[in-house]
Amino acid sequence: MNEKVKETMISAICAVISIGAFLLLWWWGTHFTTLSKLMPDPVTVFSSLIEYCVGTVGKCSLIVHMLNSLRRVLIGFLLGSLVGISLGLLMGRYMLARAIFNPIFRFIRPIPPIAWIPISIVWFGLGEQAKIFLIFLAAFANTTLNAMTGAMSVDPEIINASRMLGAKERQIFTTIVIPAAVPSIFAGLQVGISSAWASVVAAEMIKAQNGLGWTIQAGMDNNNMTQILAGIIMIGVVGFLLAYIMRKAEEVMCRWNKSGR
Amino acid sequence: MKKKKKKKKKFNKYMIISCCSVLAVIGIWYFCINILHLKQETVFPGPFTVAKTFVQKMTSKVPDGATLPTHLLESLKVVLLGYSLGVLFGVPAGILMAWSKWVDRFMRPLFDLIRPVPGLAWIPMFILLFGIGIMPKAAVIFLSTSVACIVNSYTGIRQTKQEHLWVGDVFGFSNRQKLFRIAIPTALPMIFTGLRVAMGAAWMASVAAELLASSAGLGYMIQQGRYASKASLVFVGMIMIGLVGLIFDAILHWLEIKVAKGMNAE
Repeated sequence: MNEKVKETMISAICAVISIGAFLLLWWWGTHFTTLSKLMPDPVTVFSSLIEYCVGTVGKCSLIVHMLNSLRRVLIGFLLGSLVGISLGLLMGRYMLARAIFNPIFRFIRPIPPIAWIPISIVWFGLGEQAKIFLIFLAAFANTTLNAMTGAMSVDPEIINASRMLGAKERQIFTTIVIPAAVPSIFAGLQVGISSAWASVVAAEMIKAQNGLGWTIQAGMDNNNMTQILAGIIMIGVVGFLLAYIMRKAEEVMCRWNKSGR
Repeated sequence: MKKKKKKKKKFNKYMIISCCSVLAVIGIWYFCINILHLKQETVFPGPFTVAKTFVQKMTSKVPDGATLPTHLLESLKVVLLGYSLGVLFGVPAGILMAWSKWVDRFMRPLFDLIRPVPGLAWIPMFILLFGIGIMPKAAVIFLSTSVACIVNSYTGIRQTKQEHLWVGDVFGFSNRQKLFRIAIPTALPMIFTGLRVAMGAAWMASVAAELLASSAGLGYMIQQGRYASKASLVFVGMIMIGLVGLIFDAILHWLEIKVAKGMNAE
């Protein structure tokens, strides 16, 4: 126990030293080298981060921009993962479904969601739909693949045993295949949420009136490095939180499956 | 023998269904666009228009000033530059972080700060810092690649079994021998997974960077296709992007089977 406390102490001290050194290097670079023409120093960035949260960037505060991005991600992610999980489970369980959908899916999957941006703008215009469509794709591709592998790797002995006990096909699907695929589905959701978050940022950078991606893009257009850095910090924080929530949800819902991630 | 034959027949049946489903999709696509005219061809081109554009684009320079192969080469150049630098940095850094406690203690907090930011979000900053040449794209790709490589090689090394290291100790291995003969071979499959994930991320980052600010490359081509409202060109670009991604993945998978033979590579 004592050893553990000591270890955490050492790690904490090292973390403080390394982050402190990084900030100091940044501060030194922006004050004493030519970098000062391009980069703001850390103090400016953090104070303006707070300023942007309270005040405004463009039309609304940074918090509102964040909420806009979050709304898009959540709508697209929910739709995408619902469709993806159900299709994936069907494809994993039934050979016929796999034969029908897999060739098309394998053709769509390698195209990164970002590459859909131009065509989604042509199809849906510049509004919300185009962005939600992109996030839908990002979530869909990852969850389908994982749900499929999950449903395919169910132990056949368990299925045979249940069949021997007289389970119907529908019962096998709902009571055995779906629960057995849950850990794998969660792995897909984890990848899906970070991919969706990256896609929303990219979509907003290319065409939007608000959102965190817009903040950094507008910062680039106005040559405002402080705004870009504040936006990047915010994107990182939200990305971290989304991944964290997902991991916690997995811990709660797959308590039996200690994969030790 | 009979059983085997039956299995093969079943396989063939599903193959036929797969082919039918692909043909059906193309058929419905053709039917909706070219016969029913549900959407205009400028918005959603029919399959034959896409194929025709693909063939034309191999030699034609309209509307974006370069042929498809030129764009492809331009994208490949940037991706390979950023990717190889990222791998050269990321894999050793991940291994070092997992192997040495002190490196881990100092590097990990910094790494945890950078990791949650998607690689694409750095694009505006790098464009302001480096202009719109090859540098900002290579930098973004480098960053995305090295994050994926670090994460996977780190986990790979950490999976080394303590017992195996003890065996090394019994045979009097030095620390370096333990790393190179036990830990790295254990981690190889994970490192390869990292390389594949990183390739996907790198390819995506390059397309995004080209969409935003560029004067050549596949991303630039599809963006120009949208401006010129030539949806068929956008389709050709997307298919090309998907194909190249698949080819890269296949190459890396092949390498993995060759190099990490017998190390639980699928």
